Amino acid sequence: MKLSSDTCNVLETLRSVSGNLYDPARAAAQRGRKVAGYMCTYTPVELLDAAGYVPVRILGRMGSVSRADSHLQVFACSLARSALDMALLGELDFLSLMVFSHTCDTMQNLVDIWAANISDTPVFTISTPVEVDTSHAHDFYRQELARMRRFLEAERGRAITDEELTASIRGYDEHRAMMRRLYALRRANPDRLSGRDMLSVVLSWFVMPREEHARILERLMEDVESAEQTLIGDRPRVYVVGSVCSSPDYITVIEDAGCLVAGDDLCTGSRAFLSEAPPDGDPLDRLGRMYLSRSPCPAKHCPGYDPGTYILEQARESQAEGVIFLLTKFCDPWAFDYTYVRERLSNAGMPSILLEIEQHVPPSEQLRTRVSAFAEMLRAGPDTPRKDHSGR
Amino acid sequence: MSAKRVPIRASSTLYETIGQYYLEAKMAEGSERKIAWVTSGAPVEILYAADIIPIYPENHGALCGARKMAVELCAAAEERGFSRDVCSYARTDFGAIYTGTTPTGGLPRPDFLLCCNNICGTVTKWYQHLQRHFDVPLVFLDIPFQHSGPNEESIAYVRAQLEDLIRSVGEIVGKPVEMERLEETLGLALQSSMLWAEILGLLANRPSPMTSFDTFVHMAPIVVLRGTQQCIDYYELLLSEIKQRVADGIAAVPGERWRLGWDNIPIWFKLRELSEKFAEYKACLVAATYAHSWAAMVSPTSSTDPLGGMAEGYTNVYINSGLPARARVLAEMVGTYGLDGFVMHSDRSCRAYSFGQYDLARMLSEEHGIPALIIEADMCDSRVYADEQATTRIEAFMETLAAHGSQT
Repeated sequence: MKLSSDTCNVLETLRSVSGNLYDPARAAAQRGRKVAGYMCTYTPVELLDAAGYVPVRILGRMGSVSRADSHLQVFACSLARSALDMALLGELDFLSLMVFSHTCDTMQNLVDIWAANISDTPVFTISTPVEVDTSHAHDFYRQELARMRRFLEAERGRAITDEELTASIRGYDEHRAMMRRLYALRRANPDRLSGRDMLSVVLSWFVMPREEHARILERLMEDVESAEQTLIGDRPRVYVVGSVCSSPDYITVIEDAGCLVAGDDLCTGSRAFLSEAPPDGDPLDRLGRMYLSRSPCPAKHCPGYDPGTYILEQARESQAEGVIFLLTKFCDPWAFDYTYVRERLSNAGMPSILLEIEQHVPPSEQLRTRVSAFAEMLRAGPDTPRKDHSGR
Repeated sequence: MSAKRVPIRASSTLYETIGQYYLEAKMAEGSERKIAWVTSGAPVEILYAADIIPIYPENHGALCGARKMAVELCAAAEERGFSRDVCSYARTDFGAIYTGTTPTGGLPRPDFLLCCNNICGTVTKWYQHLQRHFDVPLVFLDIPFQHSGPNEESIAYVRAQLEDLIRSVGEIVGKPVEMERLEETLGLALQSSMLWAEILGLLANRPSPMTSFDTFVHMAPIVVLRGTQQCIDYYELLLSEIKQRVADGIAAVPGERWRLGWDNIPIWFKLRELSEKFAEYKACLVAATYAHSWAAMVSPTSSTDPLGGMAEGYTNVYINSGLPARARVLAEMVGTYGLDGFVMHSDRSCRAYSFGQYDLARMLSEEHGIPALIIEADMCDSRVYADEQATTRIEAFMETLAAHGSQT
């Protein structure tokens, strides 16, 4: 891919952010902005934004876990352990608030451990329903959103007006729409932006002040749209699924093995951008309907949603020849879905591979070998239709 | 000092009662009576009121664990792609379905599934899998986790769902659930849970007439038969026997010197060994958050306001509550039962129960001077249990207690 030097600068910025996830938020805090941490993508960031906070997603970090081990068993997922470790070590001291949305058993219990041990930052939990698509769930969630709004108003010392909230919803909607455009563009031409860089864009979206990220994203979009196509050659397209992937190094392993990442169903990926606030209703109502009708996290119960069908369809639409499960060890919701989704893919002739990852540990040699073998198998696949992407 | 332990006579009736329940359930397969597979914290009264037979895969998992069959069944689930990190009750259940192996003569196929997530989020995924496997309706009851005490909005949300649930169950059996029947069933359930609470309360006696290890075995009816007359009959029998033991001064652990609490699901495959190990040190386990959970599941409010009472009772279960509430329960147990220490089973299979135990253990020691022993294990999967390590830790803990001073 040939990009202008301007784009290279933009990419350098995003790459640098993805390697130092919390720098932008820390800088914002130093400039006097209030920063609110959150972990789950069901967290209504629009409310935080409207209340004047810079929302920053806490995704853990590379490096060993020390302090957290005396509060949380080692059979907790690395996301929970690493994030708690950061908090205990004071690495998140730039936060003015920590918000949790009810996710899974681990996150649920992490909330109370966090609140008991990180006493200098207030903690708020929004009880997002587990069964997401019933009218009772909508009623309950609306009350929860209102409770969160009241909490933020009390923290801020003044009301969050409907106008402020509407503006935040619009801002996030536009921002998500841009991300969807970038995704669509990559789906059509995965060579325009590497999977690694795409993940950097996504991670930056979660940790940068929205306006800053939107500016960078606009410039990136223009250049990526007009970039020349280059040779793809014999590179199998893969679709990546899982929960959190906080390190672009995992995507690099996949690309180094010769694969093209053509799409994803990650919660540091498409799942966070597919939703759009419905146009009608008051702001809380619009937020409620958007979050509860979004592409559901495996920790949710959504009758009618079949993860096997969804992932198979998405993989096919991305013209993927294989699926890579990038599952975080000890992530229960995914561990349950995996068996079924894998079988579903396999019955449909879609090969897949399971890579168990830990957020605080870089990819191992063994993982590289396995991905290489998988890529090799896809390349040799007898009846895997492959488009000729050569731009010669 | 080395007096023999006197076995509980009601045990034989217990085995008959539970055996009868599984037999009846199996015989109902293919008959007019509907069968529902349910989670252990689901409002089963609605099912009994509609003449539906509830089947508890968790109880079945516990049985498989106690009979040391769980590992084989877990392995069968693992062969199908389930990770060893997944809940061992779920793996045991899947393994039993795949292989047909079971200690109970087989679980009858469900006509529908009822999943209530007030015990964990794992059951959500487990029941989704059962739904795909059996291709039967899944009725879901979403009970929000209570970080800071019961909140009204949650109770209202649960209540609204209970109304729908009652309607759905009526549709499944082909006739509406009669409210009178439901009230009657709730009355029976409340009576059973009060009997169970009374029995557990007798363990506050010194010496204790029964150990928590016994309660783990004798709790089966309150879990699976709550809302039936058999449940009441059984606990009336057990209650009178335990009262008699108190009157006769029979100690569950002869020469009882230490009184301990237990947190989390039992280590089913080590029940007897652990009971004997603690008894060697004259330590009696007299209170357990697990057994106590079913003593409070039916709210007294249910006698005047059935739906409100159910919503309240099923929302306020121990494991659906945050650490501050759990800490209060533990502290209360320390006082009521005169505990000298607490044993915490850090259960690899149960993140919902286990995460936070380290902080609870610190709280017990710092605020109440009660030392806690943490045993890293699993309720069913004995492959993650290190016998020697556990024994060493128990021995060290008992020595610490002794160093604390005798408190009989």
